[in-house]
Amino acid sequence: MFLEFFTFEMRFRLKSLSTYVYFLMWTLYSFLTVASESFGIIGFQNGKLLLNGPYANTINASYAATFGIIVIAAIFGTSVLRDFQRDTYQILFTKPISKFAYLGGRWAGSFVTCVGVFAGVMLGAWLGTFAPWADHARIGPNHLWWYLQPFLSIVVVQIFFLGTLFFAVGALTRRIFIVYLQGAAVFMVYVIGITVFIATRSLEHFWSGVLDPVGLLLINVLTRYWSVAEKNTLLLSFDFSGYSPGVFLYNRLLWSGVGLALFGALWAWFPMSVESLTQRLQGKRAARAQLQSADQEGARRPASLAPVRLPAVHQVFGPRTSLVQYWSLTSLRIRLIFREIPFWAIAAILVAFSVNNGYFAGHFSGADVWPVTYLMVQSVEGSAMLFLLIVAGLYAAELIWRERDNRFDGIHDALPMGESIDWLSKLTAIAAVEAVLLALTMLVGMMMQTILGYTHFEVLQYLQELYLVTFPQVMGCAMFAMFVQTLVPNKFIGHGIVIGVWVLQPVVFNFGWESSLIWPGAVPAYIYSDMNGYGHYVPALLWSLTYWTAAFALLGVVSIAFARRGAEDSFRGRARLAWRRFPPLAPAAGLLLLATAGAGGWYYYNAHVRNDFLTSEDLRHIRAEYERNFKKYEMLAQPKVTAVDASIDIFPATRSFRGTGTFTLQNKTATPIPAIHLSDAFQTVTNLKFDRPSHLSMRSTRGDYLIYTLDTPLAPGKTVTMSFDLAHQSIGFKDGRELAQFAKNGTFFDTDFFPNIGYQKTAELDDPRRRREEHLPELLDMAPRGDPVHSHLNLFTPNSDWISYHTIVSTDDDQIAIAPGYPQRDWHRDGRHYFEYDMGDVHTADFFAYLSGRYKVRREVYAGVAGPINLEVYYDPAHEFNVDAMLKASRAGLDYYEKNFSPFQFSQYRIMEFPRYRTFAQSFPNTVPYSEAIGFIARQKDPNDLDITAFVTAHELAHQWWGHQLIGGDVQGSNMMSETLAEYSAYMVMQNLHGKDYMHRILHHFLDRYLRGRAGETRRERPLALVEREDYVWYDKGGQIMYTLADYIGEDQVNLALHDFLMQNRYAENLYPDTRQLVEALRTRTPPEYQYLIDDGFNRIVLYDNKTVSATSHRRNDGRYDVSLDVQARKVQVDDKGEEHPMPLADYIDIGVFIGKKDEEKPLYLKREKITQERQTFTVVVDQKPTRGGIDPYNKLIDRISDDNTIDVTEK
Amino acid sequence: MTLKITGLSKTYPNGVQALKNLSLTIGNNMFGLLGPNGAGKSSLMRTIATLQEADAGTIDLDGLNVLTQKDEVRKVLGYLPQEFGVYPKLSALDMLNHLAVLKGITAAGERKSMVEALLQQTNLWEVRKKALSTFSGGMKQRFGIAQALLANPKLIIVDEPTAGLDPTERRRFLNLLASIGRDVTVILSTHIVDDVRELCARMAIIAAGQVLLEGAPGEALRVLDGQIWSRIVKTDDEMCSLESSLRVLSSHLVEGQHEIRVFAPSAPGPGFLPVPSSLEDVYFQRLSQQQQA
Repeated sequence: MFLEFFTFEMRFRLKSLSTYVYFLMWTLYSFLTVASESFGIIGFQNGKLLLNGPYANTINASYAATFGIIVIAAIFGTSVLRDFQRDTYQILFTKPISKFAYLGGRWAGSFVTCVGVFAGVMLGAWLGTFAPWADHARIGPNHLWWYLQPFLSIVVVQIFFLGTLFFAVGALTRRIFIVYLQGAAVFMVYVIGITVFIATRSLEHFWSGVLDPVGLLLINVLTRYWSVAEKNTLLLSFDFSGYSPGVFLYNRLLWSGVGLALFGALWAWFPMSVESLTQRLQGKRAARAQLQSADQEGARRPASLAPVRLPAVHQVFGPRTSLVQYWSLTSLRIRLIFREIPFWAIAAILVAFSVNNGYFAGHFSGADVWPVTYLMVQSVEGSAMLFLLIVAGLYAAELIWRERDNRFDGIHDALPMGESIDWLSKLTAIAAVEAVLLALTMLVGMMMQTILGYTHFEVLQYLQELYLVTFPQVMGCAMFAMFVQTLVPNKFIGHGIVIGVWVLQPVVFNFGWESSLIWPGAVPAYIYSDMNGYGHYVPALLWSLTYWTAAFALLGVVSIAFARRGAEDSFRGRARLAWRRFPPLAPAAGLLLLATAGAGGWYYYNAHVRNDFLTSEDLRHIRAEYERNFKKYEMLAQPKVTAVDASIDIFPATRSFRGTGTFTLQNKTATPIPAIHLSDAFQTVTNLKFDRPSHLSMRSTRGDYLIYTLDTPLAPGKTVTMSFDLAHQSIGFKDGRELAQFAKNGTFFDTDFFPNIGYQKTAELDDPRRRREEHLPELLDMAPRGDPVHSHLNLFTPNSDWISYHTIVSTDDDQIAIAPGYPQRDWHRDGRHYFEYDMGDVHTADFFAYLSGRYKVRREVYAGVAGPINLEVYYDPAHEFNVDAMLKASRAGLDYYEKNFSPFQFSQYRIMEFPRYRTFAQSFPNTVPYSEAIGFIARQKDPNDLDITAFVTAHELAHQWWGHQLIGGDVQGSNMMSETLAEYSAYMVMQNLHGKDYMHRILHHFLDRYLRGRAGETRRERPLALVEREDYVWYDKGGQIMYTLADYIGEDQVNLALHDFLMQNRYAENLYPDTRQLVEALRTRTPPEYQYLIDDGFNRIVLYDNKTVSATSHRRNDGRYDVSLDVQARKVQVDDKGEEHPMPLADYIDIGVFIGKKDEEKPLYLKREKITQERQTFTVVVDQKPTRGGIDPYNKLIDRISDDNTIDVTEK
Repeated sequence: MTLKITGLSKTYPNGVQALKNLSLTIGNNMFGLLGPNGAGKSSLMRTIATLQEADAGTIDLDGLNVLTQKDEVRKVLGYLPQEFGVYPKLSALDMLNHLAVLKGITAAGERKSMVEALLQQTNLWEVRKKALSTFSGGMKQRFGIAQALLANPKLIIVDEPTAGLDPTERRRFLNLLASIGRDVTVILSTHIVDDVRELCARMAIIAAGQVLLEGAPGEALRVLDGQIWSRIVKTDDEMCSLESSLRVLSSHLVEGQHEIRVFAPSAPGPGFLPVPSSLEDVYFQRLSQQQQA
């Protein structure tokens, strides 16, 4: 009996098309993840990660399991429902069948089908490894177990658990609505849950892994800190090793158990009798019977048998009637949609998603910001967009097919009404629905702003974004879907095509089809900024939207001509009809064709003719070409810049500037220099002249590299003056990729727009995958410390040491223009605003920027050691939130740095806001451009939260010492002398501002960033003192190492070392310091027992594995407590290949006992103990009853499992 | 109104020839179209109702070319398709009102009185505010009739209108149709011979896309007068032997025994009694004639 149901189910599944569609879908999906780097999660990750390695297969399996929720629901949910939909239950349940046979057979059939379908995931990935065009450097040998293990342990368990859930729900409810929606519902609830969890930025790594029912979090927890080597060799392990011992096993056991329990529940509750299975149907039947009896009631009334005459009516046809018909149809269609549950379900989910996303609109880059309108719109619209598109596609199909689906077409199609009216009414109905959903989105946005405590509502901005930018796109999608649905013979094929076009968009984009003119509905990228509004993105957006709207409307005209009417189904028949219908449509078609061609042509002219249209690949080619052609000149002796004088006129309205400049160049080498090499990345330079005879002997095709030969070589020690004109003109508009440097309000460009001496190695591609594609050799390591050439080069500006700097800059009359230097003059002439800045004789790095904007300015004077210091913040009037906090952090920073390091070398420190097209802050001499998106709208909600404004301000200020006083040579390690020391300085400012307890939060945060950074390393990790390009080392690890060192040997000792080092090496010229001197300076201030910290911290990569095994307390007779801590400590050194080697222990580690609520503990006991054994027990006496205790409680040491350092203390 | 169909042919993409050079002239009054399933009735009806193209031939409605001037035809057309569904969650009243607008009845007052009259006539008044989707087959069919009659159509095409109606409903409908059919052209397709006999002044029998017979039902009957014979058959064997030797038109069960009707110019054999011819005999006689041909 069981076998019969099972085989029946299998036969049914094997006969149904959907089974094969699902299978092919999975095969294709995983095929692409291997065969195309531009697809899937792994492709975009680290360039050394195997595409068919164990980690890749695990990730593919878990994504298949996640997105497959809907497929699992579709397969399992329908299997019992089928009997009720097709009324076969009456036949079935009147036969003697057992519950086991029925449920078990159906379930097993679905399970086997589902497993078979998902096996496509393995097949596809395996096939992908044979694709000739794939990146075979990233494809290893195929191991069967690497495919099978993730499939069995993730996908099959998932199918078992979720399948049983959907099966049980389907069997118990037997409602089509629930069965079809449960998959989507579970999927969405899960996605929302995950978003919420991730947004809390929790570092909890046990329960979040165990309780994750689907697996995305679980895998993140398990593999969070895996290195590339581990990802290429390890499968998720069921044992108790690794960084999250047991989590995988517990998770799989838990959810398999839940699956079994669900099966039990179904067994217990599923009734095997027609009577109880059909209660609900009986209710429906009763309602119908009632209606019919009402009808009979009417029929019994004696009606006259004499023939009646119907009243005479008049038919009127004409434009007015067309309008009335249109309105009647439209309102009927809108009413029908609004009366359907699916619409409200979609609306409810949209609201739920928007509420959720909106709630996190104030979280940005791991910290809180004010939910300003653009962030809120972006959040709510981002979550609504999917649903707006679903509604467009879904209702386009529903409306095109509704008459046929309801078999009302016979009546509808014979009505005296034009096809255009019908089409327009369908479009209007969709428009109305979308408009309502957009209004909901907007209301949610404003509601969430209110909830988040931000009440500066900018309704106009909502309306602009939602109704002027998004609405046309959504309606374009609707028109496109209507067109597709009109032409295809079947609604589901239509859905397939529409979804295909939508899903493939990013894929084809990655394959280089980046023009917004090609793929249906593509619009150029744009960014809203409070400083600029839509700014310079408006024309591109406007023409693109016009182009696509006209093009889709043209498809609309075709749809009208091809509208299905009557029984004609053959394409030839419909084409004939369309041809006959066309003449009256011709004017509209002609007009739309003209609009499409006109708007598209104008767009093309701007994006492709007036501007170079460069795809990402083109841009890579340009960089690779530059490296290939000119790398050979890298070591060529060149003069250094010693003075810069520039006169720059900024034209914000046209996003342009022009000017003139003079560089003084000096030959600081011992040999004559015959030719001067220049890089001109943006081709801004013209009319370049030297103060002596010379000629242009080479100009690259792109004009990005120029060689001028001097008639007489520049002798050692001699100088030459180079003068030139500069101009950058923004012409028309581009297809996205607008230069972020130029804005109508908030211009900010730097030395990249000036000629640069020699070959610029910053232009080199650093992603190994891209280098392989371009057939470039592996990136060269930086020169070792002490290198005879590079030690003489400035790390940041290899073509200069220190310069004198003078500039005149002008801008629009209502803007302020800023460049480094002390203001000399400020005047207005010819409707322009002029400023003159001069750096005087202060040592100034050859690193300057020009800014212009409509700023409000806050000024104050700080009493510095060497005289008053002007503190200034230039900000957008809408962003006043943190101006005070920035000034406060600046004062705190100046206090600390002047006291501990050296006096501030400048008499001003200025922060200026720039538009959020770029999100960073950067330290130019006494000038810090700071993005609108980070500090200016940052918000510290909770005193324990990261205070990003203060942190970034203190960090950038510290660069005035570490980067503008002290600069290392162009060798390994030098980057940490600016970034790590700035990070350390900022830590200390934070500690002064917020107290010592606050630092645990910071350490934990940056520890996680370091560990994740090293897990994503594409090349190899370097020790701190030899760091090259690894920013997670110089920021996140560096700060931690320095902070811990200060904690161990004393803050004053570290600062003394830094002071000594700074005073000996600042303003270096000709020979630059490197980390050997820094490490030595620290070493001399470190007592012998802590010397190992210097070696471990700077010269090695060392990881601890500290853990508390047990913690018990015992109340003594005197009321105090004996606390016994059983702790474990291990330490490993990681070599260049990422392999770990155990190290002997003789380390000092904190042992602590705490009291208080979780995360608010106060220490009862804290002592640094020397630990020499892997396992040691400490017994201490404390005054109060302890709650928590353990080893290295503040996470001062780098430890991949930071959560197990302390545990709850149990009382005995 | 006169509908003139000349040489109409239609072959479907799958090769089925639905209409073969079919010609018919239909004047005012009720016109019945009889034919077995698949005879081409519905194809013909759909073509007249502007819902289908023809490969060849013309249809002329008082000077209007039905095949090209579709919108003009639709203005005077009332059409009840053989099979139709309804939108969910809309009441009969709302839907009729909506359809009236679409049919160009723009004066609200006229529309209201027409819709109400039709709801009364089709006996849907009591349930006018109920959702159409909850209607039984008969109720839905009456709604279909109501919508077909909305705008005083000059040409009414009803395809199998009495299918699914109970006897009372069927009677009411036929009465209604009869009362309207006096002034306008009504084409009624059916395979229920009685519908035609009761209603139609003229009729045609169609099979395999061709007209087998056209005329008044009375005339058709007269042709068969005295040529229809009936007899009770006792066993299946006997039935078989009779079938092979005679032109058996039909057989009915009468109290559990077969009564067969045979077409023959004179008494076909012992036991056969002459009976008055019925329209059904005409129908079967024509069909069997065609099959032999």
